[in-house]
Formats: sequence, structure tokens, C-alpha cells
Amino acid sequence: MAGIWVYAEHKEGKVKKVAFEILSEAKQMAEKKGEPLCAVLIGSGVEGMAPALGSYGAQKVYCVEANDLGTYTTGGFAKALCDLVQQEKPSILLFGASVNGKDLSARVAGRLGVGLATDCTGIGLDDAGKLQVRRPMFAGKVYAEMAFADASPQMASVRPNVLTAAEPDASSKPEVAKVAATVKAEDIMVTVSEVIKTGGEKLDVTEAEIIVSGGRGMKGPENFKILEELANILGGVVGASRSAVDAGWRPQSDQVGQSGKVVTPNLYIAAGISGAIQHLAGMGTSKVIVAINKDPEAPIFKKADYGVVDDLFKVVPALTEECKKLKAE
Amino acid sequence: MLPTREIFWNVGNVRIAVYILAAIPVLIFAYTLYERIRLWRLGGGEPRFDRLGTRVGSLITYALGHARILRDAYPGIMHLLIFWGFAVLFLGTATIVVQEDFVLPIWGTTFFHGDFYLYYSLALDVFGLLAIIGVLMALVRRYITRPERLDNKTDDAIALCFILAVLVTGFLLEGARLAAEMPPWGRWSPVGWSVASLVFNQASLQGLRVTHQVLWWIHLALSFGFIIYITYSKLLHIISSALSIFFRNLNPPAALRPIENMEEAETFGVSRLEDFTWVDLMHLDACTRCGRCQEQCPATFTDKPLNPKKVIQDLKGLMEAKGKGVIARMRTWGVEEDADASPASEEHPMIGERVLEDEIWSCTTCGACVEQCPVFIEPYPKLIDMRRYLTLMESRFPPEVQTAMRNMENNSNPWGIGSATRGDWAADLDVKTLADDPDVEYLLYVGCSGSFDDLNKKVSTAVTKILQTTGVRFGILGAEEGCCGDSARRLGNEYLFQIMAQQNIEIMKGYNVKKIITLCPHGYNTLKNEYPQLGGDFEVYHYTEILANLIAQRRMTFTKQLNLKVAYHDSCYLGRHNGIYDPPRQILRALPGVKVVEMKRSREKGFCCGAGGGRMWMEEHLGTRINHARLEDVVACNPQLVGTACPFCYTMLADGIKEKELEKKYRASDLAELVLEAMGKKAQ
Amino acid sequence: MEILVCLKQVPDTEAEIRPTADNTEINYDGVKFVINVYDEYAVEEALKVKEKVGEGTITLVTLGPDRAVESIRTGLAMGADKAVHLDDPAFLGADAYATAKALAKAIEGMSYDFILCGMRAIDDDSFQVGHILGEFLGLPSVMGIVKFELSGDKKKATVHRQVEGGMEVLEVSLPAVFGATKGLNEPRYPSLPGIMKAKKKELKPVKLADLGLSEGEVGKQGALTQVSQFSLPPLRQAGKVVDGDTPEAKAANLAKLLREEAKAI
Repeated sequence: MAGIWVYAEHKEGKVKKVAFEILSEAKQMAEKKGEPLCAVLIGSGVEGMAPALGSYGAQKVYCVEANDLGTYTTGGFAKALCDLVQQEKPSILLFGASVNGKDLSARVAGRLGVGLATDCTGIGLDDAGKLQVRRPMFAGKVYAEMAFADASPQMASVRPNVLTAAEPDASSKPEVAKVAATVKAEDIMVTVSEVIKTGGEKLDVTEAEIIVSGGRGMKGPENFKILEELANILGGVVGASRSAVDAGWRPQSDQVGQSGKVVTPNLYIAAGISGAIQHLAGMGTSKVIVAINKDPEAPIFKKADYGVVDDLFKVVPALTEECKKLKAE
Repeated sequence: MLPTREIFWNVGNVRIAVYILAAIPVLIFAYTLYERIRLWRLGGGEPRFDRLGTRVGSLITYALGHARILRDAYPGIMHLLIFWGFAVLFLGTATIVVQEDFVLPIWGTTFFHGDFYLYYSLALDVFGLLAIIGVLMALVRRYITRPERLDNKTDDAIALCFILAVLVTGFLLEGARLAAEMPPWGRWSPVGWSVASLVFNQASLQGLRVTHQVLWWIHLALSFGFIIYITYSKLLHIISSALSIFFRNLNPPAALRPIENMEEAETFGVSRLEDFTWVDLMHLDACTRCGRCQEQCPATFTDKPLNPKKVIQDLKGLMEAKGKGVIARMRTWGVEEDADASPASEEHPMIGERVLEDEIWSCTTCGACVEQCPVFIEPYPKLIDMRRYLTLMESRFPPEVQTAMRNMENNSNPWGIGSATRGDWAADLDVKTLADDPDVEYLLYVGCSGSFDDLNKKVSTAVTKILQTTGVRFGILGAEEGCCGDSARRLGNEYLFQIMAQQNIEIMKGYNVKKIITLCPHGYNTLKNEYPQLGGDFEVYHYTEILANLIAQRRMTFTKQLNLKVAYHDSCYLGRHNGIYDPPRQILRALPGVKVVEMKRSREKGFCCGAGGGRMWMEEHLGTRINHARLEDVVACNPQLVGTACPFCYTMLADGIKEKELEKKYRASDLAELVLEAMGKKAQ
Repeated sequence: MEILVCLKQVPDTEAEIRPTADNTEINYDGVKFVINVYDEYAVEEALKVKEKVGEGTITLVTLGPDRAVESIRTGLAMGADKAVHLDDPAFLGADAYATAKALAKAIEGMSYDFILCGMRAIDDDSFQVGHILGEFLGLPSVMGIVKFELSGDKKKATVHRQVEGGMEVLEVSLPAVFGATKGLNEPRYPSLPGIMKAKKKELKPVKLADLGLSEGEVGKQGALTQVSQFSLPPLRQAGKVVDGDTPEAKAANLAKLLREEAKAI
């Protein structure tokens, strides 16, 4: 029938920020199309998160619940979502392009037999009111404007941290629709034996979105503490150049570079790294590169988007403070 | 009375008996030698029977002349004395044989008398004494001085004592004879005469005769025993080292053997003894553990498990272990010798047991071992052969190597930077590609470092500006240029090397390239010495040759005083492998205000920077850093600048200076940058 | 033990990707092609399972133009036993859905214990084919595995799936589709004998007609999404040197730039 839906992924009782970003953007689309903007929560005991979604513009929030939906599984969540979609027939279905967002949207698109665009950086409507998106391809070397076949709902997953979340309006209260999902073992298709937490958002350096890396300029292992603090504030991980690993300051697993690991984060901060070619080969395709180095001739400045020519021991802690302030806002 | 002596004096008519007896050691010697050569022939074929004239000349220069052995004064002279002492004594005995068994029976005359005899006697005594002195020098060196590069085995002691015994009994027996006969010309045998005077002066004639007989038979037994001992001990080097010199590699030293017919071959590289060639196996027997290779090896020096002498000796041990079976079968008359009967790799594993993988990968192919070996053994090519097995057959190499190889495959440079950007370094320099203008004299082959590495792009820029200023007409290939493949080949990936080389050759031939200037000595060596193996014959120069020439022709004007004390670091691939030592020094000396100092280990004895042999792409986990070791040589002569003419050396030394925090005292620079500076221009 | 591995040929990560003049397609002239690295993890894992079990057949399944043969041969050189190549102009121009449809039809007729693929392809960056394939075949699909263990009776697999902040351990009954990602293994470098043998291994081409699908169901016609236009991202500007009189001032300016201009934090 109608409706622009946003799948609201949640973790530990809180909706992920990307859902708010998408709702904010989709609000205009819904108005233009004259269709309701809805959000979908799937899980067990999710009703408490509905008001937050309302404050970002969701007019209706579906709370799809079942006991077996307490933990995410592709099969279980796909069944619950597809059943609802087939019943309510939204025209557009949007996800955050998180790990599970990309995961779920793919299986759902396959089941519904509709088009899906992954990891979009821009969403909108075409003249016919169909979804239209912009997304990077070839690891960001080109951007593509994508159009959809008529099949409904048109689906897209949106890259986090690209769209802007509007100011929430606490007075905007959504309609809450509770849906009891029927999910059986043969729908779930897997057994989750264990969920291992590796502490915070700490991923392997190759999967991290933000990396704060130190090189010879760090002068010693104990000094990496300031990089760890910065990384923690930014939600990233600490990497190291070959010099630092060779000196025994950091483990081999942290080494970024041709003979270490090749990384593609959104943000790479290189502190005290000169930028030898072997290092650049490991991080050169990072989206944003920041270099902090005393030596203005350091080759890394040629590759960096932002360069700070100064003493990293002063700049890095100051940057950590600045980021703390920004985070508090 | 004419000066002469009676052959077989005092021992009776034993000539026939002696000859019959002599047959025993000679036959044993011949047969054992034959068995040994059969062992060498377990290996595959290798053509080394070309240029016979040069080969004979090598024997004269290096075997008879001891040219390489004499590079070290004490051991050189020591061995010279033993060698020539023994040679002359041997000739002396041969002279008697000629006299008695040919000249006399056939022509009825003798020459063994008169002045001839006098000089003969003198010569033999003098050389016999020199030989003894040589042996004593050797005993002192081996057991008292104990230099690090020598290891002592029982065989060494026995060999020296055996020689000494033969010599000493010879003099004793001469002394006994002279004491008994007291010929007027006795002093023409000064040593024998002294022995007679000092040892036998109190003896009775009867006693002397008996002593003489006993000594004579002892001396005979020792000599025959010696002949037999040759093939069972390190003395085999008398034959094998001479052969090793004769069959030395006459091709450019750093041109590795290609693997032919890669499409049809079933195995690649060396994992068993039989995979080597007969030349390699002969080398194993030619080695006398002199240790000169070990002394110069940068891996050994920095405590890596690799020691070229050890590699050769370990392989020799393997050959002997394997040989026992072969020889046992040979000695069973009538049984077919079957080399495949024993699965050699299971019984006698080579890689991982005799030679460890860490040894194999530690080599930088600097060539010092090959350069130093007095008998032209080639240790490092054997390691590359083993790398070929590990890489091609088992894909077993340090993980970083896989990245480098993938990158060479996909983007034609070990860093894996987009091949389409290869010509970008020249964007602002008004250089044309051959595609735009093929009508030039030289192709400037930039190489991967010169194209992609920030430090070495400065060199490409400098050379470009220098050539442009001096009116040399050249072009580059830009994005069409491919990696020369040196690293691939040295990492054992012969397949990848041949593919990359063939691609380059095809492109160069397509543009009708005749002359090439390279920036990198590795590229120089590969294009000049290895591309011909695949049909690419070009005239290749290293940029230092070109610049030195331009300077000599006065086509460069230097306007700036540099005021620098420069230590020049010889790149292994430019210097030792290709003999280009002087042009870089000529360049430096021509620059105003530059004083050139020689480091302790320079020219043929230059010490590697550590990046060759594909090691630029590998982590250095074992021992200490080779580039740090080299920096000690720099520090020792206290220059302001260490000059290089190779992108690898430049990187390793510049990095080393930073790593050791010596930036305030020293810096590294490529020669081209200095030349440009002296010309009053800038590289940027 | 029969394992299928879906393998895709993609441009090398360092290749210059430029749209054609009219911006509707990508100009592949001079571009170097390689196996999608995530599919390499899949091939490698299949090889490891086969080695552990001691027997088995690994079949590669590829949808791609003629040039994809080179990448298939590389997969065979690594050690896969045979390959099926969906090679028909009708298959080209597809999106993830149409690709998965064609692959599923080809796979339907094959026997297998499980299917491995790469979680994503580095050209389209869609992350979809694995799941949609599972959907068409009616199989469980688990994408993003960094560890794979076959049960003793070979009827189940225990996998570790990487998620933000940790790992899920899942037990999956076979047959199923698994999507490999970085961290699962280190793909082997093909040995030279492997490369030589690969030239002779079975590589079966499959046409549209062989699958019993119509043109409208696959390729460009069967796609549910389409690129209407390509554009190049704004050129990476020469880096900015961050102003400031003191290190603290520079840090403040940097933070501001990162948040507002680069949107990186």
C-alpha cells in the first residue's frame, strides 16, 4: 500500500544512531510522497525504544516481537520483517548499512524479490516517486546514481555518519503497533551458540572505521597511551607503523603497511609517522587521512588530507580533549 | 766425478717392485676419484666446456698463480709455499721417472748430472724447505692464532701432519744418504747437508745405510699413503679445486641460470641433491673450509643462521651420506646403479634439515661469497635454486613475500601501486614517453623505486634534469614500463620473472629500443645480463656511467661548491656484480668541494646494505640489522654524507640513519642529487 | 565431500576506474582483473576443508564475461578441481538479484554439501549475492565468517560470524551458504605445478539456454536496480595544513575540520 519504512536496528536497549539519521532524511521523502513514515523494531521487549523513533519523525512504530527474536539471526529477523512487509506493503524500506543492516536487508530483498542498493550516501525520490539513491562503488572510486525497478518496496541501506540527524522533537509521539511475529526454528535456520564480545567497539585493525596510528615519532611504547586515549574517544583502534613494531613497542598484529595489514578506515590519523612508501601502501585508500608530524618534509603530508606540523605530544592530547568536547555536545 | 746420484742407491733393485707397489695407490686414487666424480654426476647437466682458452688461463692465474688466495697475505703466502714446494718436489720425482724410464732406455743418455743436477738439487731442497715453512705457518695459524673463519677438524690436522711427515722423512733420508756418501757437491743440497751434519754426523756407515733404507721405505709408504689419502680427505681439493677453477662461471656473476622450458618441466628448483647440476656438486668437494665467504657474508656478520661455508659443507655431508648408497651399489659388480632406488628426499632431506629455511631466506645475493672464494665456488646461487623449489613447488615463503609477488603480478611493482600512475613522477618535467616520441637515443628505464618511492623519485627527477641540461636525448616508457623482475627472480619465482621480463622485452623491442640507461643497479643487472637469456639484447648503462662520461667530456658545468666529505657506498649489484666501482667515484671527485673517503669495506669487499635478494620486501627478524652494521662503517670514517647510486641502498641507509637517530651527524644522498646540486639546480 | 565456491572476477584494487564518456558504464580498457579477494578466502577455506577431510571435490561457479576465465584458472591453480562458467552475454549487466538468480539456477542441478562465497565483491560492494543465493536455494546463509569448522559427521558447520564489537558463534546445518571475509584465512599462492595443471582442469561453459531461464529473468533485463549514471568523486584535494598558533589551537581546528568538513568524527 504505502509507507516509507525505516528498520531501526538497536543494541542493548538503544536505537542505533543511523536510524535517526535515516528517519530525518526520509521525513521529507514521506511528505513529498504523501505516505506515512514508519519505523520497525524487531526483537524482544522493544517497545521502550518507540518514543525515540517518534522524536525523529516516525509516525508509526511497529514493534515486532517474539521470544526467538531476542538475538539477531538473519533467518528469524527476515521472516518477521518479510511477513510484516507482505502484510502492510510499504513502498520503500530503508536500513542502516551496519553489519547486520547489510546482512538483513540482503536476505529480505531476496525473499521479497525487490531491488536493494547497499551502503548509500544519498537517498531521495525520482519523479515517479520511486526511490533513487547515490552510492559509492569500486571502494569509493566512483559514485553511482541508482534507479529501481517498479517492484515494491524499493530497498536501500544507508551508510552511517553521512546523513544528518535532525533535532529530536520529544513532543512528537508515534503510533505504536505491536506485532506478534511467528518465527519457527526452520525460519531461523541456525543455532546461536554463543556471542563473544571483544570489548567495546574494538575490531581488528583491518575492520576498524577509525584508526589512530603511531610511528617512530612516538619514541617509546609508553607513549602510545595518548593514542589509545584518542582512539577510545573516537571509537577507533590503535595501529602502528613498521618502525614502532620493529622497535618492539607494538605487536605485529597492529602493524599497518605493506608487510603488515592493509586498512581502509574512514579516518586514519598518523602520529609521528613519516609515511614511507610501504606504510602508505597499507593505508593510502583511507577516506580521510590526518598526519601529525614535526617534520614538514615528511612524505606523509603529501598523502594527508589534513596535516598538522607540530609536536604530536602536544597535539594529540589536545585533540583528544577537543573530541571529548565534541562528543559531549 | 760428475755431480749426480744413483737412483735407488742403497735400497737394492727395487724398481719393478716399486712400480708394482705404486700401482696400488694410483689405482685406488683413480678409482676413488672416479667414484667421487660419479657422485657429482648425480647432478644434472650444465654446459661449462666453452671458452677453453680462458679456462686454461684461469687455471694458470688462479691455481698456479694463486691470484685470489693471495688477497690475504699470510694464508696466501702460506699456501703458495706449500703448493709450490710440493709441486716442485713432485716435478723433481717426475724428472727422475722421465730420466730413468724414458730418456735412458730410449736414447741411452742421462741428463741427470752435472750443472743440471746441481741446480736440481738446490731447487728441490729450497722448495722442500719452503714447503715445510708453509706447513709450519699453517699449523701456527690454525692451532695458535685460531682465526674466526677457520673451524678445525681432525682431517685438517692429519693432512698437515701427513704433508709434514712426507717432507721431513724426505729430508731425513737425504741427510742419511749425504752423510753416508759425503759427495763433494753435498752443499748444493743445503737442507739435506744440514741434516747430515746435525743429525747424522756421529753415525757409522753401516748405521747410516740401515737408517737410510728404513727411512726410504717409510718415505715411500708415506708417499703412497698420501696418494690414497688424497681422495679420502680434504686433500681432494688438489683435484676438485683445480676443476672448480677450470669450470668456473664465465658468465656475468649475477646473471642467474634460467629455468628452461618451464611449460614442460615437472619440477622446479632444488629440493634433492640430484636437482643440482654436476658443477654444484663438484663445488661441494672443492671447498676447503677456508672461511673467506663466511667472513664477508653480511648475513653471517649480523648473526643470521646463514653461513655460506656451512651451507656448502652441509650439502657436502648430504652428498656423502647419499653417496654411501650410490658407491655401495657401484662396488657391487654387475648391479645396475639406480639413482632413484632410494627416495632421496625421505632418507636425506635437504630443505628443513640440512639447510634450514631461515638460512635460505636470509641471503641478500650480495655475491661476496662468490667474489671471495679462491676456487670459484658459488654458494648463493644454490640458495636461490632452493628458493625456486620453495616458491614454485610449495608456495612456501615468508608471508610478506606473497604480497610483493601479488603486487608484481597485478601492478608490476612490489608495492602494488596502480600501474597506470607509473609515469606520474615525470608529470611536470617535460619528459616524453616513447609512445609520444620514439625517436630518441636512450630509453631511461626508471624502475619501480624511481617511479613510486618518494625518496627515489628525487633521483629520477635529478637524473632527468641532468640529462636534459646536457642535451642527452632520451624518453621514458611511463605507464608502459614494467618491473624488471629482479626481486621476483631472486625470491625464486622464476615463472613470474620470465613473464615480466618477456613483457618488458616485447614493449622495448616494439619501440626499437637500442640503448637503455637505468637508475637502479638491480634493473641494470637484469636488463643487461639476464634479459639476453630471454631474447632481449640491449646496450645497457647505469646512470653513473653516463654521468661519468659526460663529466669526462666536459659537458657539465658545476657552479656550486658543495663542501662535503662523502663516503661512497658501493651497491653490490653495481660494484661487485658488475665491476662499476670507478665511475661513481669519478663523479664525486669532479664535484667542487667534495672530498671522497673510502670506507673500510669498499669496492670488491663492499658490505651489503641488506636489501638485495628480495630482502627489501621481507622483515628482518633474525640477528641484527644489516643496514645498521653498514652504518658502523660510515660512522667509522666520519663523513658528512654517505653517497649511494642505488635506490635500495639509499632507502636502507637513510632509514638506518633515522633508526639509529644519527640525523644530526650524517645524511644519505644519491649521487645524482649531488650532481644536480653542484650544477646549481634543485631536484624539486 | 562436494563444495561449491562462487568466484567473481573484479578489477584490481589499484586499477583506475573511469566511467565512459556518457557516464553510463565503466571503461575497462587497460584495467587489470583479479579474483575478488573475498572469494579467495572462500576458495582457500574450501581447500582447507578438503585437506582436513582428506577427500572431496571443489567446483568453482563463476558468472562473468570471457575474460573471467583467467581468474577461474587461478582458482583452479590454487587447487579447486573444476569449474562452471556462466558465460553468456545475456547474463551481463546484472545486479545482485539477477546474478544470484542465474547462479542459483546453475547450482540447482549440482550436488553439494555446502557453498562458500565471498561476503562482498569489491566492484559492486553490494553484499547481497550470498544471501539472495541462499534464499533462492532455500538454504541458510551466514555472511561474514572468520572461522569455519565442519562437524565430525560433516552434517553441520560451526562458524564464527564477525559483528561490531564481537563475534557470533553459530551452528548451521548443511547444506548452507557461507560468505567469507577477511580474517578467515590467508589464501595460498598457487604453486607452479598448480598453475600448469589448472590449464587442463574441466571448465564448463554454461549458456542461458542451458539454464532454462528467459532473457528477462537475468542480466540487465532481470536486474531490479540499475546504475543510471556514474560520477567521479571529488578529486582528493591536496592536503590542507591545519592552522594554529599553538598545538592546542591546531588541535581545535583539526577537530572542527574533521567534524564539519570531513564528517569523519
